[in-house]
Amino acid sequence: MPKIDLDFKKKLTRVEYADFLTYCYQCGACVGDCPSAKLSPAFNPREIVLRVLLGLAEPLLKKDSIIWQCTTCYTCQEVCPQGVRPIEVITALKNIISAQGMLPDSISASVGIIKDTGRVVLVSDVINKRRTEQGLTELKPVPMDELKKIL
Amino acid sequence: MKYAFFLGCVIPTKYPQFEAVARKSLPKVGVELVDVEGFSCCPEPWNFKSYNIMAWLTIAARNLAIAEEAGLDILTLCSGCFATLAEAHHILEDKPELKDEVNKRLSKIGKKYNGTISAKHVVQVLRDDVGAEQIKKSVTHPLEKIRVGVHYGCHVLKPSETLRVDDPADPRILETIIKPLGAEVIPYAERLSCCTGACQDEEMVFKFRYNKLQSLEEAQVDCITLVCPACFEAFDLGQVMLNRKLEKKFNIPTLYYVQLLGLAQGLKGEEVGITRHKVRSPALLEKLN
Repeated sequence: MPKIDLDFKKKLTRVEYADFLTYCYQCGACVGDCPSAKLSPAFNPREIVLRVLLGLAEPLLKKDSIIWQCTTCYTCQEVCPQGVRPIEVITALKNIISAQGMLPDSISASVGIIKDTGRVVLVSDVINKRRTEQGLTELKPVPMDELKKIL
Repeated sequence: MKYAFFLGCVIPTKYPQFEAVARKSLPKVGVELVDVEGFSCCPEPWNFKSYNIMAWLTIAARNLAIAEEAGLDILTLCSGCFATLAEAHHILEDKPELKDEVNKRLSKIGKKYNGTISAKHVVQVLRDDVGAEQIKKSVTHPLEKIRVGVHYGCHVLKPSETLRVDDPADPRILETIIKPLGAEVIPYAERLSCCTGACQDEEMVFKFRYNKLQSLEEAQVDCITLVCPACFEAFDLGQVMLNRKLEKKFNIPTLYYVQLLGLAQGLKGEEVGITRHKVRSPALLEKLN
């Protein structure tokens, strides 16, 4: 028997912009134009919202969850007649996965670089050399003391 | 027209040629780029937003606050930076309680975001503030024979409710700013499809990109033109990676919009940096000369 979490829906309705999920009437407009659903039938934004509504989201809350197939193209939000914003539901689920320390390795690494250096790409001497060759100034370090204080 | 130039991370590190050409070509249409110190990653709206929305919003607000202190609107060449900064601005205006919480965090470093500026993508500035006429006046070498396939990408258009740039189902903004350069914009079936940079499934990513490139090849374009470094990587480096898996080989070069602008203003292919790209086309270089 799958585990049913009756409070899960309420938890997500407290997340800003994911809070319209109870308006979903399962029409499937979000599926028709979803680029990921076209290539991977297992990825279905309508079903993701349904699982949240029914308290059956547990299989989505994993490191290798199907939700990482989302391209974050926002088409589902554009086409939804009910203003549900399925993408925001997916992002809320990703934040839950993240809080449980289960982000996929590539994403975790990219987040780590930003938290350590303030940029998503590591600035090296090679990069600064390439910049000066093109008449650009070297990149200065980001004030990390400020970033650490506000996070 | 004076803007705080928000470089972001990917362009100044991996593709400084786009920054270099923007610094040469935008002043020619009356856009003054001001370098403001202290910006960090926007932060990018895919992985970092997946990690923690509040952290994402707070860092974005710090960047907005820095531009606000300088009294300038933000101009960025990157759709990711644009999506983050414009969306964060919108959220902070839409949800006062979140603005209070974010400003409480910013007060620890003596900063505050009041919401008095806006963040714009370079394409918006070119369409709305510069205008097609002014772009055309700066053109000395019209790109008459060049057949361009435009790739919009997602984050310059969607969510349209927040970004309000163009109709994502039938956008025209890129065509509007490419036509004054003299190039021909070629319609193709996959014009609005996503670069899939954020999808974590490699097989799916290859299929997406194959479909897009196939569609561009059928339309016989000389190049793809786009306005996002993540999309650029998807079709430049991404095309090389895809070709390794295929028997057939695609050879469709990708040009950033500002590179097209620079070329039309008389800069040479080497000066706008297209010789630094992974996918090069002798046929395109010949057409340009």
